Amino acid sequence: MRAAAPILRLAGIRKSYGAVEALKGIDLAVDAGEVVAVCGDNGAGKSTLIRVAAGALEPSAGAVEFEGEPIALGSPLDALRAGIATIYQDLALAPRLTIWQNVFIGAELKNRLGLLDKRRMRVNAARYLARLRIELSDVNRAVERLSGGQRQAVAIARALHWEARLVIMDEPTAALGVTESARVLDLIRSLRDGGTAVVLISHNMADIVAVATRVAVLKTGVKIYDAPLGDLTADDLAHMIMTGTPPAPRA
Amino acid sequence: MSQRVEHTLACYGTAIAAAAIFVLFAVAAPNFIHISNLLEILKDSSFLAILGLGFSLSFVTAELDLSFANICSLAAVVTGGLIHEEVSPWLAVLAGLVTGIAGGALNGFLVTRLKIPSLIATLGTASAANGLAFAETGGVAFVGRWDPTFLGVARGSVLGIPNLVLWTAVAAALVQFLLTATRLGMRMIFVGEADEAARLAGVKVRWMKFMGLSLSGLTAGFVAVLLTAHLNSAAPNMAGDFLLTSIAAVLVGMTMFQPGRVNVPGTLLGAFMIGMLGNGLVLLGAPYYVQDILIGVILVASVGLSAATLKKAAFGL
Amino acid sequence: MKKIVCSMTILGALTLAAPAHAFTLGIIAFQMSSETHARCANAAADEAKKKSWTVEVLNSGGSLPTHAAQIEDLIQKKVDALIICMGKPVETDSQLADAQKAGIPVVTAVAGASPHTLFDVEVNEFQNGAVAAAYLLSKIDYRGNILEERFEQNVATRERDKVLDAVLSENQAVKVIGVHTMARTKTWQQDVRNGMHALILQNKGNVQGIWASFDGQAYIIDDILQAQGMKKGDVVLVSLDGGPETYRRIKDPNSLLSATVAIPFEQIGQTAVDAVDKIVVHHVPKQQLASGPYILLNATLVDASNVDTMMKP
Repeated sequence: MRAAAPILRLAGIRKSYGAVEALKGIDLAVDAGEVVAVCGDNGAGKSTLIRVAAGALEPSAGAVEFEGEPIALGSPLDALRAGIATIYQDLALAPRLTIWQNVFIGAELKNRLGLLDKRRMRVNAARYLARLRIELSDVNRAVERLSGGQRQAVAIARALHWEARLVIMDEPTAALGVTESARVLDLIRSLRDGGTAVVLISHNMADIVAVATRVAVLKTGVKIYDAPLGDLTADDLAHMIMTGTPPAPRA
Repeated sequence: MSQRVEHTLACYGTAIAAAAIFVLFAVAAPNFIHISNLLEILKDSSFLAILGLGFSLSFVTAELDLSFANICSLAAVVTGGLIHEEVSPWLAVLAGLVTGIAGGALNGFLVTRLKIPSLIATLGTASAANGLAFAETGGVAFVGRWDPTFLGVARGSVLGIPNLVLWTAVAAALVQFLLTATRLGMRMIFVGEADEAARLAGVKVRWMKFMGLSLSGLTAGFVAVLLTAHLNSAAPNMAGDFLLTSIAAVLVGMTMFQPGRVNVPGTLLGAFMIGMLGNGLVLLGAPYYVQDILIGVILVASVGLSAATLKKAAFGL
Repeated sequence: MKKIVCSMTILGALTLAAPAHAFTLGIIAFQMSSETHARCANAAADEAKKKSWTVEVLNSGGSLPTHAAQIEDLIQKKVDALIICMGKPVETDSQLADAQKAGIPVVTAVAGASPHTLFDVEVNEFQNGAVAAAYLLSKIDYRGNILEERFEQNVATRERDKVLDAVLSENQAVKVIGVHTMARTKTWQQDVRNGMHALILQNKGNVQGIWASFDGQAYIIDDILQAQGMKKGDVVLVSLDGGPETYRRIKDPNSLLSATVAIPFEQIGQTAVDAVDKIVVHHVPKQQLASGPYILLNATLVDASNVDTMMKP
């Protein structure tokens, strides 16, 4: 049973690069409190799909609705303003700049004079990181001097700052160690519990099984499966991605 | 070498070298350390310092402005021409500033709208500005014994400090303020560091680059006013020599304080170093070509250290 | 580290080279890469060295801000006198006033007069232009077609060109059928070659005389004419400045360069030094050297008839 309108609804999304059709009419709806895992092999169209949802790529055809209203996502800024934050695989950070600059870029805090409120940004950046249980004593450090997990945390902190209604995460744990991965999964759960919708792109079936509430599987630009996680196992998912056929119903 | 020593050398090596040269000149060159001579160096380096600050505003967004010297000459001719016609000096100054910002905005338009690489676009603007300056003057400089109020903008002094030095301080403070205290500055820097990341974070990348190039033009217009007043004249290529030396000041500046990054104190010290070399070598009685050779050496050495940033701005790599 | 050592070595070497106090003369040439500026400045420097003075020669590289800064630098150095070759006295008005205030006498060469300088050693370029223009017209019998190569960005050439216009206005039988004005100062040779080559091809066989506003242009035009297979006398080519290369061409049977007006650049430099010597060292009153703001020197028309005397050392 679905609530009134989903947070995000993609309908009939197509995207062509010249002769190559990366998406061949995809429908996807995400409700509040859902963690929708989008999986598929390389070239299945996952990245293209999330770039459309993030406003980074214009679809060749199809419609996007946000909280029941049609919306044009002409730029990443449109998406951010609507409440869609995206955390990219390459993290989209400026390595030589500081943690706080990377967290607040695009939505800087200003003081009464209209100038940058650096103190507040430093304090809040540390606070966001603390929520992610990432201990970084000095938010003036350059991002290039952080570990992969710490960088992931900086990118997620930016989404927290935007107070996104929907967070799209592209392979959030790919570069992380076991402990840091667990923390990111915890974070995804806490986002979900707070009513934020999460779209998770991942190759890691164990992660998906651990946090997803629903799974969508893409293969060569077509959605072949979309259902609640239920009792699907990591092996079931891997099988489906490889063969392109849903698992037989269990007895 | 311990890590701390290495870090100090990376941040302050060039500054230490500058201090060493300063001490050497002070010991060896007669009258070098005299206060009137030191003020003279500051005055002489003021033009390249301010132009360098302007150049760094485009450079910080990873665009290269190679037109600022010619835009400066054109703005000087516009200002000088109006002063020569004895219109109000205020109007003449305004016209110079407008010429500068118009040239910069044209660069911004070519780079961000027509997507012409700044290396090429600004060279084109430079050539056009040069042509316009010659068209305006027919090659003959505007020279006169002009309104002393106007000349006083650059020639006067306040409490013994030459106005040119004060203007440099004002320009440096404004640029520093823009880059460190305002949202625009933070976004310009971010765009220069990672433009795709900035775009994905909702920053209007093209607008930031447009602003950087426009402000570089505005600065060139400002220097044009100072130069016209300082020299009591306006010639169609009067600022041409500042292209190389101002860029050298910025690149030398990038070797200190925040290595590899454009920074205001570095640009100021870089400009002072170049001014000091010119002055000190004259006082030492060195042949005139030594100065050119040394500036060449400094330029190549500093580019070696800031190569990555330069490459990105020039070729988008 | 290496950078510091390097700069120390260079500066150390310069320090050792700095001599003890003698009469110090500062010489600034506005644009050393221009042969005429260099000839004037180098002759002045040689003359001063003959007097065992310490000489410091600076090159402003054609840049006004640099020029102004160098005047200030030499004031700070407290030179005993200053000679400026082809400078810009009006533009550097405040710097020259500073020199006057500091008690440093300034003599300029081919620069124009200033209230802050002793005087300007000068040739009259209007007069020179008139001599050259009259020569050109007389050699084509005051009728026919000519081409002009002009240069607007220099006072001397501009004055010469203006006088040519005046002379032509009195000779209606001579028609100017092509004009090229040199514009790009940094690649001027190429500019002249392109412009004149086109004009010569376009008007081949129809041109009696060619005017060049200075000898450097005339060399290039001469080469184009020779490459077209023309012989001496086919076209009368006249310009101004003088110098060994010009004299060689005037004498060369293959060259089409007919005449020049030789400006005594060396003598200008020497005269400037001589004036400094008399006034500053020997305290001769200024009025004895010149009654006005100028010391005027004479230029010599040089063609095949007198080129041999000019070529003697």
